[in-house]
Amino acid sequence: MNARALTTDVLLGIVPIALAIAVWQAISSFGYAPVTLLPPPGLVFRRLAEQLLTGSFQHAVAATLLRLFVGFSIAVILGVAVGLAAAVSPAINAVVRPIVRVLAPLPKVALYPAMLLLVGFGHESKITLVVADALFPILLSTYYGASMVEQKLIWSAMAAGTPRHQIWFKVVLPAAVPSILTGCRIGLVISCIVVFLAEMITSTEGLGHLLVTAARTFQAVDMFVPLITISLLGLILNGLLQAVRSWLLRGFPEV
Amino acid sequence: MIAGRALLSRFAPLLACLGLLAIWQAAALILQTDSFPTALEAIRAVPSILGDKESLINILASLRRMAIGFSVAVAVSIPLGLMMGRNRYVASFFNPLLMITYPVPKAALMPIIMLWLGVGDLAKLLVIFLGVSLPVIYHSFQGARAVEEKMLWSGAAMGLSAAQRMIRIVLPAALPEILTGCRTGLVLALITMVTSEMIARQSGAGNILFNALDMGQYETVYAMIIVIGAMGIGLDAAFEKLRSRLVKWSEPGFDIPLSFA
Repeated sequence: MNARALTTDVLLGIVPIALAIAVWQAISSFGYAPVTLLPPPGLVFRRLAEQLLTGSFQHAVAATLLRLFVGFSIAVILGVAVGLAAAVSPAINAVVRPIVRVLAPLPKVALYPAMLLLVGFGHESKITLVVADALFPILLSTYYGASMVEQKLIWSAMAAGTPRHQIWFKVVLPAAVPSILTGCRIGLVISCIVVFLAEMITSTEGLGHLLVTAARTFQAVDMFVPLITISLLGLILNGLLQAVRSWLLRGFPEV
Repeated sequence: MIAGRALLSRFAPLLACLGLLAIWQAAALILQTDSFPTALEAIRAVPSILGDKESLINILASLRRMAIGFSVAVAVSIPLGLMMGRNRYVASFFNPLLMITYPVPKAALMPIIMLWLGVGDLAKLLVIFLGVSLPVIYHSFQGARAVEEKMLWSGAAMGLSAAQRMIRIVLPAALPEILTGCRTGLVLALITMVTSEMIARQSGAGNILFNALDMGQYETVYAMIIVIGAMGIGLDAAFEKLRSRLVKWSEPGFDIPLSFA
C-alpha cells in the first residue's frame, strides 16, 4: 500500500467520527435535546480535561487500572499455562476440554453475585470476574496455536538434539506466540469491559462507580466522562499490546 | 472399545457439568457459610423459580428481547461486514469508528440510553443490538476478505452482477466465519441481556438475580445462576448443531466460541 492510499484510508476513517461529533453538536446546539439529557461535546471534553487533573478522578482511574492489570495478568498466565498443557498432554486435554466446553459459553456476569458472596466486595471479586472472562479466549487461542504447530518443526528440533522436555519451550511456545497474542488482544478488550461492568454493579471506587454515581444524580456530563475514559484506556492498552506484538514477532513474516 | 470412547467423548461435557457441581457441593460442605448453599440446595430451588408464574413471564420476556435484539443485529451486521470485506473504502470508512467503540462496555451505555428512551424494552433492545453487532460485523468482514479472488473473477466472467456475486459467492464462502461471529454474538446477547436488566431493575432474569442478591435470598441467587448458565450452554449447543448442518462442508476451525463480554 503506498502513502497516498494510506492517507485516503485515514481521511475516510476520520469522516464518520467527525460526522458523529458534528451530529452530536448539532442536536444540542439546535436545541433538539436539552443539555441535561445530551450535553454538547465541547462541555464533555472540557469536563474530561478538568477531571483528569483532579486527585479523586485519578484515584478512580488507578483503581480500575489496578484491577484490570491484575486480572488480565492472572488470566494470561493461567490461560497460556493450561492451554499449552492441554495441547501437549492428551490426558490433561481429556479433562480440560469438556470443562472448557461447559464454562466458555456460560455468561460469567451471572456468576458475579456468587463471587461477591464468596470473596467479598473489594478488589478480589472484580479481579475474579476479569480473570473468569478474559481466561477463555486466551486459553483457547493458546491451545489452537500450540496444537497447529507443524510436526516438521518438532522433528527437526529433535533431530538437532533438543531434549524432549525443552521442545515445548523452544519450539511449541514460540510458534504459538502469534495466536496467543491474538487471544490476549481479545482478552484485553474483554477485561476493559468487564472491570467497568463489575464496578457498576457494586463498588466504592473506580470508573464504573463514577458512572453509576453520576447516573443516580442525573449528571449527564459526568456520565459521559468515564465512558470516554474507558474507551481511551482501551485504545491506549490496545496500542501498547500492538507494540509488544510487533517487538515479539520481529522477524516473523507479516501476521 | 472405540464405541466406548466415542460414547465417552459424547457425554464428556455432561460429565464435566456433574464434576463441577460435585466440586461446588464439596466446597459448600467444607466452607459451611450461609451465603454459599450447596449445589443440591440450589438445584432444589430451581423448580420453585420456574414454577412461579411471574418469574417465568419475566424470564420469557428476557428471552424475547434477546431474540429480537440478536436477529436485528445479525440482519444489519452481516451485509455491512460483507461490504466492508469486499470494498476497501467501505472498510476504511467504518473501521476506526468500530475500533473506538469496541472497548466501550455496551451495557454501560444503559444509564445514558435510559435517559433518552426510558426503562422500557426499547433501551434494552438497543443495548443488546449494539453488543451483538460488533463481533458479527468483525467476523463477516474477516470472512468476506478471505474469499478467493479467482472465484469472483469466474463469477464475473459468467455474467453475475456485483450484487449476485455478493449473495451467491461471497456469502456462502464467508458463512463459516460469519457463523463463528454469530455464536460469539449469541453468548454476548445473553450477557448484555443480564447486565441491562441488572441496571434497569424492572423485569427479566437479571432483575430476579440481582434483587435476590440485594434481599439476601441466597438460594434464589444460585438457582438463577444455574438457570442463566443452563440457558447459555443450551443456546450455544443448539447453535452449534445448526452451524454444523449449515456448513457441513467446512471443517470447524474453533469448536468452542471465543466468547466476548
